[in-house]
Amino acid sequence: MLALLVFIFIPVLAGGQWVKIFISTGCFILAAAGVAFMYARLGMVSLGQIALMGIGGWVMLRMNHAFDLPFEINLAVAGAVTLVFGWLLAMPALKMRGLYLALITLMAAGGLEVIFSTFRFPNGGEGFWGVMPSVADPFRRPTLASSDADYLRYIILAIVVGFLIIELHMRTAPGRAWAMIRRSEAAAYASGVNVVYYKAWAFGLAGFLAGISGGLLAGGLGLLDPATFRASESIMLFALMIVGGSRGWLGVLIAAALYRIVPALFNDWGIDADISLIIFGAALLHAIITAPNGLSGQLIDLFSKESKRT
Amino acid sequence: MKKMTLISLIAFGSLSMIGTASASDAVCGLDNGLLATGESIKVGGIYGNAAPGDFSAATDAAGAYFKCVNENGGIHGRPIEYMVENDQWNPELAAQAAAKLVDDEAVVAMVGNSSFVEMSVNAPMYAENGIMAMASGCAVSECFESSNIVSTNQGPLSSSVGAAIYAIEELGATNISCIGMAIPSVGNWSCGAVQSYMESKGLNASFVLLNPAAPDVNSALLEAMASGADSMLVNLPAGLGIAFLNAAEEQGIADAYSWTSSTPLYDASVPKALGSYWSGKLFISAELTTIDGAGPDNQNWLKVMDAYANADDPRDTFAQSGYLSAKYFVKTMNQMAPEKVNDRAAVTEAIQGINGYTSDLMCGPYYVGKADRHMPNHAGMIVEVRDEAFHVVRDCFEYDGPYFQPILEAEKALGLR
Repeated sequence: MLALLVFIFIPVLAGGQWVKIFISTGCFILAAAGVAFMYARLGMVSLGQIALMGIGGWVMLRMNHAFDLPFEINLAVAGAVTLVFGWLLAMPALKMRGLYLALITLMAAGGLEVIFSTFRFPNGGEGFWGVMPSVADPFRRPTLASSDADYLRYIILAIVVGFLIIELHMRTAPGRAWAMIRRSEAAAYASGVNVVYYKAWAFGLAGFLAGISGGLLAGGLGLLDPATFRASESIMLFALMIVGGSRGWLGVLIAAALYRIVPALFNDWGIDADISLIIFGAALLHAIITAPNGLSGQLIDLFSKESKRT
Repeated sequence: MKKMTLISLIAFGSLSMIGTASASDAVCGLDNGLLATGESIKVGGIYGNAAPGDFSAATDAAGAYFKCVNENGGIHGRPIEYMVENDQWNPELAAQAAAKLVDDEAVVAMVGNSSFVEMSVNAPMYAENGIMAMASGCAVSECFESSNIVSTNQGPLSSSVGAAIYAIEELGATNISCIGMAIPSVGNWSCGAVQSYMESKGLNASFVLLNPAAPDVNSALLEAMASGADSMLVNLPAGLGIAFLNAAEEQGIADAYSWTSSTPLYDASVPKALGSYWSGKLFISAELTTIDGAGPDNQNWLKVMDAYANADDPRDTFAQSGYLSAKYFVKTMNQMAPEKVNDRAAVTEAIQGINGYTSDLMCGPYYVGKADRHMPNHAGMIVEVRDEAFHVVRDCFEYDGPYFQPILEAEKALGLR
């Protein structure tokens, strides 16, 4: 219902600037959803999600400039390639948990950051990297969503589909396997759960979501910049996911809103957007100390108490 | 008595008017000393201020000029509302800023834009929306190779080619190593043009590019030395350029090569930062006239800055460029029919009709025209770093080379040649 209301009204009511902000926020909602389910369902910390988004965005731009295929096919390829990268990232990580896993993903993000800043993102040039030193060739958005407002609606639909895919996993065999792995890998083994397979599956799904979100972000601007995909941004997204809460869609929405809407609001008010970092730090302390389920958990508790009173 | 009071009031009022008009002797717009009133004309500007640097000098200067214009008759008596956004070197913020100004605020034109990022992101958007950006701080190829952006500054390509021409003609360079940033539309583009120029003269050139995320000036210097070059062309932002020259100083190789630089090192702080070691050894391409240039327009720019800008706003090349863009914009708007100045399409057409504006700030004429690329400023001067100051060693000269051929042909078509 909320998605339907947002789908109908936000693109109409928001001005050009805010439609662009919501497009960006929408893309990061999908990426944050991938990090959140990995953490909430498997207890795995991935600090490479935004770098994976960069891979999705790179593939999307390369496909767009190399072939005359529809947007959706390019997006599917971007998701699939990033899914494979997610698996690759999972290989060394399968036997690790906690800090070591986080460090592995962070190092991968750092490596991708160097590659992005060295080779840049395709803009219609020739060769494998597809970069030329001039104005980027046009980017083809979906036929039904060429305007910013329509493209925002398209992204809202993609978010709903992304949430449904995660929910479907939660309610079927992978969800049950992940729940067992989270409690105890040894117990999961003993119960016949193929731990390697399901861990790789989780990495692949998170990679797929990152790839789709990177591809959609590429469509927002028609080009991408390496600064968007720094390793530090992956850490920030993870921290904000802790603030928002990792156990449900509301936490993911809060995380992405903090990540993109709060700095944009500050910019709009003429306040230095870096002040948002101070707020994020305070919010993270608050979440760690008082809100194990994040702000979304606190909000849900508040509403449930209020509804019991009435 | 009543008559005396009335006369006194009129005399006081007249003196006040004179006082307002002579608050500064800067000449702006219609220059009639009348405060602009009525519905404002919205004009936008985007600058970048975050690491790697603050590019707000151009919009600061443009804003100062617009303030002066608003106190001197405005545009057909109406004030300019100058709305400025910071893209923070972030493409998403640049797109959001443009959407706010172009879509939401419906500005009639963009003036004074100055960024590494903004033009790359928004060039197609400006074209789609039929709005012209009279930029002042272009640093990327997209800025010069798109239909709806025209800049008063030269950018790294022209500036580097100018430095290369001086290196060949005055310093005897036969093999140049151009040291730039590994950003395709900046380093590859501008150093590539230097290489093409050198090859067109039967000479050699190569380039060394630094990764902007992790610039290593020592390895860049070693790579440049290994290239076999006899001349080094520093084409880096000021801070990185100074670091590169410091690395060369540590190696003690200043006398082994000739040294030139594109405009970023033409900054008041550079001679002192480099110290006496580089005195008489470094030659820098200046895009506009020198900061202390004696020409009437440069002097007027300084007066505008003193009267209408903040005391700490930079008085540098970008500020000169911002002033010039704003001045040409106001001149064009005041030549339009008053009822058309709020019509974006009419304003765009008027800007595209600019032809042959001159100023002592720029070596050549300024023009726009309807074209898929614009680079009116492709002539400059050379300054030498000597005794912790800059000294002009070559006055205005025009750049040549393969890149400029289509531009020169466009100028012929406009009757400028």
